Amino acid sequence: MISFLQYVMRRTFQSMGGNLFPNLITIGIISISLLIFSTFTLLAFNLTNFLKIWEDKIEIIAYLKRGTPSSEVEPLLEKTHLLEGVEVVRYFSPYDAMAFMETKLGGQKNLLEGIQPAILPASFEIQLKKDYRNSTKIKEVVTHLEKIPQFEEIQYGQEWVETFSVLVHILRLTQWILGGLLLIAIIFITSNTLQLTISSRREEIEVMHWVGASPAFIRVPFYVEGLIQGLLGSGLAIGFLFLLHQGLFLYIPPSMQTWLARIPVLFLPPEIIAWILLGGMVLGFFGSIVASMRVLKYR
Amino acid sequence: MMNEAIIEMHHVFKTYPSQISALSDITLEIFPGEFTFIAGPGGCGKSVLLRILFCAEKPTSGEVIVHGIHITQIGFKKIYQLRKTMGIVSSNFKLLRNRTVSENVAFALEVSGHDQKESKRKALEILGRVGLEKREEDSILALSAGEQQRVAIARALVNSPPLILADEPTGNLDAQTTFDVMEIFRDLHLRGTTIVLATQDTGLTRRYPHRVIHLLDGRKVDSPTSDEVRTKE
Repeated sequence: MISFLQYVMRRTFQSMGGNLFPNLITIGIISISLLIFSTFTLLAFNLTNFLKIWEDKIEIIAYLKRGTPSSEVEPLLEKTHLLEGVEVVRYFSPYDAMAFMETKLGGQKNLLEGIQPAILPASFEIQLKKDYRNSTKIKEVVTHLEKIPQFEEIQYGQEWVETFSVLVHILRLTQWILGGLLLIAIIFITSNTLQLTISSRREEIEVMHWVGASPAFIRVPFYVEGLIQGLLGSGLAIGFLFLLHQGLFLYIPPSMQTWLARIPVLFLPPEIIAWILLGGMVLGFFGSIVASMRVLKYR
Repeated sequence: MMNEAIIEMHHVFKTYPSQISALSDITLEIFPGEFTFIAGPGGCGKSVLLRILFCAEKPTSGEVIVHGIHITQIGFKKIYQLRKTMGIVSSNFKLLRNRTVSENVAFALEVSGHDQKESKRKALEILGRVGLEKREEDSILALSAGEQQRVAIARALVNSPPLILADEPTGNLDAQTTFDVMEIFRDLHLRGTTIVLATQDTGLTRRYPHRVIHLLDGRKVDSPTSDEVRTKE
């Protein structure tokens, strides 16, 4: 077994060294293909992550109708709190709303001079349970809230959530369609380069057939070659993506950096990196199988 | 008779899709330890017959048995096991030009699962048998045609096969080198190896008193007249 492994590794590296240029081209093309796929994966990962952070902070503001008697506030709070999915409900009186606006305006709070708190509507700030912090579940809670006659308007940033969800879905879809196309391309490219390698070693393979080398002795080195091409290609893709990710921060203007500081732009987590590396290897392996099925028939 | 035949062919036909008939109703038996010439002019089907024997081609119909195995029915997984029991030599040597003499011979062992050291040792031993022990580190390109053929024979012998199939092994060699190569085959035969040697050299079949199977137009014939052979050539 050990001598077989030694033989396979020796033959694989001999083959790769002897056909350096086609091997480099294959590794380069696998790398570019997987870089495109990984870039989409990274974008989708960050947008999903951003959506999650945003959804965690999501809350519903239910504005009370003007003239709602203060005696109704407490029972209404109770009723709202009992709704499915609601975790915390807080009442914001017009005075609380005014104080909030003053805090937000900071040094420019004098803009509010002359404005009576009474013109601001009272509201309920509703925080949802973790499972309900997504666009579908929020809608269920909002539907229940809309049935309560004391509420005039319900706000939860629905356009944001919906647009963002659609964007994430489009990205994911693009990622997988592109992934599918690139998958076929990678198998095609690897199998073609390996066919070149195999034809350049035609005489050697013929001798192997003549002397009774087992199919495993003939084929396995080419399979390993495909695996290594896939691993190197995907490794390079991850490396390039990491450099791009790092470079992105270097070239962002300082004004945007402050804004972005609140949004974490993450790199791919280790498990996704491992999947991409594994994916590259599997694709290289399939490429070599296709090539060997075409040209390594036992004669 | 001696033993059970090592090779049996029963009513073997080989016709290519272009309707060219390469072999027609060939029936023969070759026994262990025999030295058999398959003789005939170029294009008479000698090479096709040998290629069928080492499973590089399948006959269109008929039965072929080698070492007791019906080779027309075996899959590629069995072919390599069968080939370990035979050494194949051809007129164009099929040597790896980017390797040395000993590497060419050791290669046959390495790809059969032997480790590098053992392969090298055995290669040197076999090279000694064909008189090339002093050329082991030379490049194949530095050898004469006769020496290259001896390397090819050494490679065919390295697995100690009981059967050698040689297709025109002296086809590209001068008279003296042909004699040297034939001496190696003669020595192998004396050691008990079964040899099937295809040749169109009538001088060779006359010089060596072994069994001759004559082929003409893909058919087995008793012994064609000189005129018949000349007409075909």
